Amino acid sequence: PNVGTGLVGAPQCGDVMKLQVKFDGSGQIIDAKFKTFGCGSAIAASSVATEWVKGKSVEEVLTIKNSQIAKHLSLPPVKLHCSMLAEDAIKAAIKNYKEKQDKANGETVETIDSTYLHGIGS
Amino acid sequence: CSESGAGCWNCGEKAAFLFCNSCRSIQPVDDSVDYFQIFGLEKKYEIDPGSLEGKYKDWQKKLHPDLVHNKSKKERDYAAEQSAKVTEACRTLTKRLSRAMYIMKLNGVNVNEEETITDPTLLMEIMELREAISEADDSTSLNQIRSQVQEKLKQWSDSFVEAFESQKFDDAVKCIQRMTYYERACEEILKKL
Repeated sequence: PNVGTGLVGAPQCGDVMKLQVKFDGSGQIIDAKFKTFGCGSAIAASSVATEWVKGKSVEEVLTIKNSQIAKHLSLPPVKLHCSMLAEDAIKAAIKNYKEKQDKANGETVETIDSTYLHGIGS
Repeated sequence: CSESGAGCWNCGEKAAFLFCNSCRSIQPVDDSVDYFQIFGLEKKYEIDPGSLEGKYKDWQKKLHPDLVHNKSKKERDYAAEQSAKVTEACRTLTKRLSRAMYIMKLNGVNVNEEETITDPTLLMEIMELREAISEADDSTSLNQIRSQVQEKLKQWSDSFVEAFESQKFDDAVKCIQRMTYYERACEEILKKL
């Protein structure tokens, strides 16, 4: 549950982008990778996003905006949707990670409950 | 064919939208005329490709630069504008995807091209498809994938007709999104062949 996967697509041009982030025990991103099928700008945007999320916490990565990515890459207006896709990929990956964390915590509670019930039974 | 609201700029006759049948002069572009009207087609998704092509050639004959070179500058400019519109109309109506988007637009539904897609079922399928295309090395494999994609495109095109004619525009938009991805995949295959 320490890996979050974001899978997003651009409806206009048919780009598809997958971004994965890996967290350590203290909630920092220790690794990130991407796979993008699309134009050069979409690939570049996801590459930048991958580099920028490394070493950051959840709160920090959610502050990354498409405008920063676009500016960094000097994207023309017609390609701004590529940087938006990268931002959305980050958000989707974080959301997925949180969902997994919540699920894992839920299982932990269930485990405790089981132990407790078993304790009563014995 | 139907007539535009205004009369012919040259003779005042109630005019055809591209061409005045009375004095044979070329008219300015009328944006209220949709692409189906240009080709004398009923405004529906399923069209007869043959009549579209035939009508397209008819218009290009009337609007061709070689055939209007002896007309006034005004008419030559009109011909150039009309020719561009006719070409764009033909291209739009010829392909299933652009025709779908266009007919939705005529019905007041602009397919939102800004919102990011997050449907995991669609995206996982497309990611796998693009990976398969990327990894395919020979034309046999690529043509096999292409056939599968063409079949998917046809299926979702049929689904679009169903949704559109039932006025289920949300479903129709989803069909268009699917078609967009399959079209893009086909483009990538053609690049490799």
